[in-house]
Amino acid sequence: MAKHILIVEDEPNIIESLTFLLERAGFTVTSEQDGAHAMSRILDLKPDLVVLDLMLPNRSGFDILRDIRNLANSPQVLMLTAKGQARDRQTAEDIGVTCFMTKPFANSEIISTVKEMLT
Amino acid sequence: MPHSLTGTRIRQHRTRAGLSQTALARQVGISTSYLNLIEHNKRGIAGKVLLKIARELGVPQANLTEGADSELMGALIEAASHLLDHSAEISALAEFAGRFPGWSQLLAASYRRSLDQEAVITALSDRLTHDPFLAESLHLMLSNITAIRSTAEILTSVDDIEPDQRTRFNAAIHTESKRLSDATEDLIRYFDKTAPQDELPETALDALDMPEEFPASAVAQNYDPAALAVEFQADLHTIFGYLADLNTDAPEIGVIITNASGQTLRRRALSNFPLPRHGNACPLWPVFHGFSQPERPLQDLIELPTGAQFVTLTIALPRSDTAFGATPIYQSAMMFTPRDQSPWPPQQQAAHAVGTSCRICPRKNCAARSEKTVL
Repeated sequence: MAKHILIVEDEPNIIESLTFLLERAGFTVTSEQDGAHAMSRILDLKPDLVVLDLMLPNRSGFDILRDIRNLANSPQVLMLTAKGQARDRQTAEDIGVTCFMTKPFANSEIISTVKEMLT
Repeated sequence: MPHSLTGTRIRQHRTRAGLSQTALARQVGISTSYLNLIEHNKRGIAGKVLLKIARELGVPQANLTEGADSELMGALIEAASHLLDHSAEISALAEFAGRFPGWSQLLAASYRRSLDQEAVITALSDRLTHDPFLAESLHLMLSNITAIRSTAEILTSVDDIEPDQRTRFNAAIHTESKRLSDATEDLIRYFDKTAPQDELPETALDALDMPEEFPASAVAQNYDPAALAVEFQADLHTIFGYLADLNTDAPEIGVIITNASGQTLRRRALSNFPLPRHGNACPLWPVFHGFSQPERPLQDLIELPTGAQFVTLTIALPRSDTAFGATPIYQSAMMFTPRDQSPWPPQQQAAHAVGTSCRICPRKNCAARSEKTVL
């Protein structure tokens, strides 16, 4: 069965390109634009991987990451953000992010990273 | 370790007096080698020996011990201790400053300048980090760039894209490009608004809230500042600022406001009429004539060394916050426009030759020159 990825990202055009890329790579992809709804989607869908933006409407990526890490079966989290400062990376790592990438990214880079995380 | 340059000054006075080291040492009653060490700032000197040397050289003792060197020495020590990795020979500092006073001044000035620049960089860095508008703008721009880059990469590297999907990707690139362009323009406007020259206090141009009807009135009044000052009940400096702030349909208008010390308080340069940011303008500019004829409107025609001619309007006015009984502090404003665009017909045919800044001005035999040109 294909691995399931949930993209939590507020920019629809980034969601569109990421979905296209990840589906072509053989994954099942769902997306959510609102930070406040992210956890309920994660609980419903039980994704294998969450691609998580940091600056989201209504709830920050850090808060969502904290909640994810409190789950019994916590999925892997790839944080994908334009906020690439060292202290943001450090905060994400302290909370327990699996991988931290900054925007803009190369398509090949994100596909290879996701494949590596899910195999 | 002696930190003063007393020895250097003794040496200067001795040679000026035509005395040899041996002669002076004998007159004072010390050995020549000891005097040599003193003169090279390798031995401290005070008390009776210093008094005797001063007497023999015929100068007050204070002339040998007091000077402007303490600040210089302080700066050099600070520079050396700030950059410890370079292992500057602090023990030889006095000797260095004594033997190479010009280089020492240069080093100290460069050090102070680097400190100033560090402070500016720190302030800008803090601003980039903490300014919410900048943070939001950069985040937005990075998101736009991410979407454009990823989508464009798909379009150029994947052949079998469904037509409707391809259309959506093309539309995404169009949308994100537009958003990126808008965000960039917003950012430029933001920097323009907050540029240092716009933060200078106390000039009429601080009131940059141009009335909505001003552009139309400016055209109707043929950009006549006096008529516009009456119409908008504003002082001429404010009107100069509004005129220089008009859009591209208006004649190109620049403005400079200075105080009597020559400090530039406000400036809007034109591409062919550069203005100094911190003074050092050409003293022949009409803006400085304003101070000799306060509150009198002056019109002139000037020519820069490039041959470009400008019609200028100048007036010096007292600061608006001048209190009764206080000496008024005048500011002079000069508005200028290229001769071929000028709505104000020049009152003379021959232009007055002026420069830009002495250091970069090629004019020869200029009575106003205050320093050599580097050209």
